[in-house]
Parts: sequence; C-alpha cells; structure tokens
Amino acid sequence: MALSAIEVGDLTKDFGGLRAVDRVSLRVAAGERRVLIGPNGAGKTTLFHCITGTLRTSAGRVSLFGRDVTHLAEHRRTALGMGRTFQISNVFTDLSLLENLVLAIIGTDRRKWVMHRSVGTFEAVRAKAREGLELVALAHRANDAAKFLSYGERRQLELALALNSDPRVLFLDEPCAGLSPSERHSISRMIGELPRDITVLMIEHDMDVALRLADRVTVLHRGRVILEGTPTEVQTNPEVREVYFGRV
Amino acid sequence: MTTSAILQAINGTSLAALLFLLASGFTLTFGLMRVVNMAHGAYYLLGGYIGLSLAERTGSFAVAIVGGGASIVVLGYLIDRFLIRHTGDNHLAQVLLTVGVAFIIGDVALAMWGGDALKVPVPPFLRGAMELPGGLVYPTYRFVLILFGVFVGAVLWILYRKTQIGAVVRAGVDDREQVSATGINVDRLFVLVSAVASFLAGMAGVVGGAFLALYPGAEWEILVVALVVVIVGGLGSLEGAMVGALIVGLLDAYGRWLLPEFSYFVLFGPMAVLLLVRPRGIFGRAS
Amino acid sequence: MPKAARILPALVVLAAAVLLPRVVGPFWLGLVTQMYVFGLLALSVDLLLGHAGLFSLCHASFFAVSAYTTAILQVRHAVPTALAAPAGILAGTILGLVFGLAVRTRGVYFILITIAFGYVVWGVAHRWSSFTGGDNGVTNVPFPALGTLRVESPTEYYYLVLAVLVLCTIGYRVLVASPFGLTLRGIKASETRMRSLGYHSDLHLYVAFVVSAALASLAGVLYVYYNRFVNPVAASFPISVEVALMAIVGGTGTIVGPFIGSGIILGLRNWVSSFFELYASVMGLVFIGVVLWAPDGVVGLVVRLWARAVKAWTR
Repeated sequence: MALSAIEVGDLTKDFGGLRAVDRVSLRVAAGERRVLIGPNGAGKTTLFHCITGTLRTSAGRVSLFGRDVTHLAEHRRTALGMGRTFQISNVFTDLSLLENLVLAIIGTDRRKWVMHRSVGTFEAVRAKAREGLELVALAHRANDAAKFLSYGERRQLELALALNSDPRVLFLDEPCAGLSPSERHSISRMIGELPRDITVLMIEHDMDVALRLADRVTVLHRGRVILEGTPTEVQTNPEVREVYFGRV
Repeated sequence: MTTSAILQAINGTSLAALLFLLASGFTLTFGLMRVVNMAHGAYYLLGGYIGLSLAERTGSFAVAIVGGGASIVVLGYLIDRFLIRHTGDNHLAQVLLTVGVAFIIGDVALAMWGGDALKVPVPPFLRGAMELPGGLVYPTYRFVLILFGVFVGAVLWILYRKTQIGAVVRAGVDDREQVSATGINVDRLFVLVSAVASFLAGMAGVVGGAFLALYPGAEWEILVVALVVVIVGGLGSLEGAMVGALIVGLLDAYGRWLLPEFSYFVLFGPMAVLLLVRPRGIFGRAS
Repeated sequence: MPKAARILPALVVLAAAVLLPRVVGPFWLGLVTQMYVFGLLALSVDLLLGHAGLFSLCHASFFAVSAYTTAILQVRHAVPTALAAPAGILAGTILGLVFGLAVRTRGVYFILITIAFGYVVWGVAHRWSSFTGGDNGVTNVPFPALGTLRVESPTEYYYLVLAVLVLCTIGYRVLVASPFGLTLRGIKASETRMRSLGYHSDLHLYVAFVVSAALASLAGVLYVYYNRFVNPVAASFPISVEVALMAIVGGTGTIVGPFIGSGIILGLRNWVSSFFELYASVMGLVFIGVVLWAPDGVVGLVVRLWARAVKAWTR
C-alpha cells in the first residue's frame, strides 16, 4: 500500500471534562486533496491542532509519511514538511511582508542561526520571498508592515507563509473565511493550482469551494467522523444533510 | 539537634504564615484582574509603619492591625483607580508603574519614620515564650502568628471555595469576559478583591513588623520572597499561595540556619527545579 | 537613503564624542563615561525587550557578577587585566547560561522569575561578606593595563570605553539585522506562528538571553574599571529596573534608544540629587510618567509631537 501522507489513529483530545475529538481515524494519501467539513464545534480545528502539534493529544497516534510524530514537538513536524494556515490570520503584524516571507522560507533552514551577516545580504532568500509575494499578488506591498493589510490581504499572506515553508503537506484552516466572493474565487483557484506533490488537508465551511477542490471529504460531528467519501457521496448522504440542516 | 530542627520548622511555618498574608493578595489580584502590583511590598511597609504609630499612640495592637490594613485599602484604591487602571493588560507597564509607586512610598516612609529599624510593639499577652507540647519553649508571638495565618487562610479559603461571591471570583479568574457577560458588576468585584488584598498587605506589615523589623528596603526583601511563593505555588491560585508559602518559609528557615551566607541560594533552588519540571508553578494554569 | 547619508549623523556623533574631553572638565567626562557604560547595559536589556519581547529584570546580576569577578581577581590575586577582564565576562555569561532557564516561561512569570533571580545575586553579594566584602564591596580596583599599555587617566579610560562602545554597537547592529535578529522579532510578533514555521522558539530565546548576559557582563567590566570599586548596589533591583527604563525612555528596538535613555536618566539623577535628597521618589515619578504619557519613549514622543506639529502647520 502506498505511504499515506497523513495517518491518524484513534485520536482523542479532552479538555477537562469536554471531549473535543473522539477516536478519530483518518488516512490521507500522498497528493490527495482532502476536505474536512462539519458544523461549528465539531472539533475540526482541534483535530488540526493535534495533527500539527500545536496541541498534545490525549490519546491516539499521528503519523506523517509513515513516521510517528505523536510525541514530536510542533517545530519538528514542520521540519518534516508540514505547513499550515490558521483559522484567524496569524501573521507577523509588526514586520514587513517581505520579512514575513523570509521567516517562512528560512524556518527549517540552518541559516536562521546566522548572526554575523544582515538579512539584506541573503539575495537568494529575498528573491524567493518576493516571488512568494507575487504569487499572492502582494509584491507591491513588500515593504509595508503586515498590520496595514486588509482582512483579505492578510488571508493571502497567511496562505503565502504556509506555501513558502516548503511543505509536503499543507493544513489549511478555513482559508476562505470572511472573504468576498472574488477573493474566495482567487484563493480557491490558487489552492486548486497547487502541484500534486503537495498533499492538502483543508477545513472549509463553504460547500462550493469544498466540493470543487476535494478528492475526498471527511465529515466531522461532535468530535467524531460520521462519514468519509467522495464529494458526491457526501452531498447526497441524508445523515450529513441532517447534521447540517436539521431534520428534513 | 532535633530540637533545633523542630524549632526551625516552627520558625519556617510562622514566616510562611506571614508570607501567605502577602502572597494571597498578590496572587488573587493577578488571577482575577491580571494586575501585577509590585507595590505590594511597599503596602506592607507603609501599613506596618502606620500600625506602629497607631500602636504607640493608642497602645492597642488591634487598632494597629485594623488601622494599618484600612489605611492601605484607601491607598490601594486610589492607586488602582487613578494609576493602574490606565495600564490595561500591559504587564510591563504595570510593573514599571507600580515599582515607581513603591519607590515613592518608600521615600515617603523614609522621610516620616527615618532609617532606623523599628519594631511594632507586641501586646503584653503575646510577649515572652510559651511551652509547647514536648517541652519545647518557643516565642509566643510567632506561634500565635501561625494560628492567625491558619485562621486567615481558612476564612479566605471558605470565602473562595464555599460562598457565592467566591464562586463569582473563581469564575472571574477562569474567564473575566464570561463573568461580565452574565451581568455581574465586574468593576465592583475588582474593587472588592483589591481591597481585601490591600488590607491583607497592610495588616501583614503590622503583624510582621512585630517580629521582623521595619526599615527602608524591607519592602523589597519581603516582596521578592512573596514573589517566589507565588511563582512556586502558581499565579492566581489561593491553594498555591498556601503551599508555596509553606515551602518557601521552611526553606528560608532551614537555609538561614544551615547556610547563613547562602540562604538566598536556597530560595533559588525550588525556582530552578520548577523551571525545569513545571514552569507554571504547582497549581498554576497554562495560559 | 544612500548609505553615505545614513552614516553621516553617526560620524558627527562620533566626532563629538572624540572631541568631548577637550571641551568638558573631568566631572562631565566621568558622567558621560557612566552614560556609555549604563547605556551598554541598557542595550543588553533591550536586545531581549525590544527584539524578543522578554522583559528581564535581572541584568544587574550579570553586570555585578562580572564586575566582582574582575575586581576580586585584580585586587586580591593580582591577576592582570588581560585575564581578569575576560574572566569577568565569562563569569557573567555563565550566570546567564543558568538564569537563561527563565525562558521556559513567558510574560508575567518571566518578569517575576528574573526579579527573584536578581535578588538572589544581590542577597549573596550582601551576605557572603567573607568573599564579596559585604556592603563594603571590593575597593581599590586599578586602572586596566595590557602589558605595557596602561590607562593612566580618566580621559584615557574614556577613550577606551568609547572604542569598546563603537565596536559593540557595530556588532549589535549586525546582530539585530541578521537572520537571528529577525527570528527574535518574529517570536515577539507571533510565537505560535514561528513554531508552526519550524522554529524552536525556546532555544532561540535562550541563545538571545545568553548573548544579552554576555553584553551585560562586558558593561560590568567597563563599570568596575571606571568606578574603581564594586558593592552590592551594582546587583540591586533598582539598577535592573533603571536600565530597563533607560531602554524604554530612549525607545526600545533601536540602537541609540538605550543610550539616549541612559543620558536622560543619569542626567536627571545628577541634576536632581544636587538639590533633593529623596531621589528614589523622583525616579518613581519618572516611571509613572513614562508609563502614562510616553510609552514609546522619548524618541516615540518626539516623533508623535513632531507629526502633530507638522499636521497643524500644514493645515
């Protein structure tokens, strides 16, 4: 069997008395586009946090490309090729856009420890940073501080940060949240055009975007997986409709 | 040899009682209001001096305690209302501001009471020594202090854990926004808790000033030790203040006895261990 | 802005600094030397505060430990400067390796732990009188000498300090502009983002802490040769807080800020103590004033007022 990019086994996360994620198991194949859907409070973001290492699991296993990362710190998982965006834009607001991208690029690079030369002398890195900004149409604001960006531009920067950390697996948490229709369109196009050597696991509320981009969909409800299948299967499933729209 | 060891244990416990009085206010103020008040030591010193003057004037220790505590309640309220309020959640600003306040209080105290070490007069019935079970002779005052500390601790604990108001305070420590969303006047709650903390600090000054002396610089020495208590016990936890006070009090007593020149090292020990093993303190919550 | 235009102000300031001894008397020269030394200490604090977002209140510890080490070696064991000075810096840096444990905490906890750590050092300096000399400290520290090169006067020492200062600020400038410096600012801006990008934030902060301690230790060595003695006051909490205030008053995150702050605070102290005994309360008022009215420091305040004036004038 081909190596899964992401493998989650019986993952459980408790917060005191509250069980946010309940024995979730998932397997995402390399190159796959998997979308996680589910109503608010279903545990999607918590599941993300557990897989990326932002939170520690209460029970269960997480593997990336066959390697058990359950007890590995977040920054070490990134070194294995993990990139992520956050549900609420988490960019470096006080730094310039260029600096934002430079940090993303050298995150897993030994050059981040250099103390005797200024960042300005690293031409290749800066060029790559500018390219990364061009990809999300923000190159013209390279020297502006991120705090001056609009909401939509911040989501774009958020995506750029994730893309530029050289990921093999991309975790996108509601990348289109709060965006205007045209912004939504351009972001989902960007995601759709990502090369297939990057695996994508995405949380999305917008059904259109989700169903258009997904190879497979996993539906979460109250911390449990209630269905997994192709977009069509999920769309026509009565239990899913009930969970989303109430009793018909 | 064991007699000395037991004596030091009692010494440590009496110091713990005093530390608890100061640390409990500091930790609850932080837990509920997210305010770091570095003037707490200065409150102790000023309360002690005021109590001293009251004791000298009225001859009553009770008046001294209540007066020392009450005067700091007033001062604390003014400082909260007119100064600390402007710092919001900015801890750096709070530290600088309250350190500045402490410097001013320290100088005012120096100007009014001078630089000599002064002691608050102990009432006659608490002077001298008493005999403890087992034939040990121990200063009465320090022993009664332990009982007093336990009493105050019990009262605070009951208020905190078993009353309606305590429940509201605990909820506020957990989640301030949620409490104000339920319609409870959070401002008044803050003023109340702050008043209790101030009273305890001022009272601690009088109570402490009777066996440790009051002198310029004492406000920082006691504050730092109270900070170690809070660090070890966990910021925002009442139980942490109790446990932390006991640990620090005992360590300080044994440290002074066994390694007088290095007693400060002894304080360093638990903090270092904590940092390695459990940085947020024994009862501290991960932020 | 072309590089020449940027360097020009710095060169002007440097020229003024070089010419200073010809223009002012020994009292002022001594005060300015002090401003350099404490400015350097404030700079070390600002590496953590302005760049990494950590507010350390124990830097007087590294300063004092290095001062004491150098003093004790020179005075009691006749160790020459060539060894005593590096030993002092090493001692302070080693303490930094130990106190650096504090970076396992953040925010308020970090501040409180550094306060407590700082107090431990003060307490040891104060109580271990058999070694440290207690409140009297270590006196009669000679001027530094390297082989046949001896500092013979305060003016010569001023130039030595100035030279060290220039080297330090150049090095500091490169450090904060380097990738490592950028990672510190990244951690300050969003530690969670940094971790998700692959940075071991605790380790970066630890290294920054140790570098900062080394710089503070260097300031300590410069201090002890200037002062010719050291006592527990050098390790005290007021010193740690004052140098933090210097960085804030001058403007954090800049290179000149800590030195401007040092000039203001030391100048203020000097002026006030000539007519008012209770200096601590004046310091207290400054703390309160800065927090309430000038949180981005003098530089920030001037910038704001200037912008407002320009706006009003161009209406």
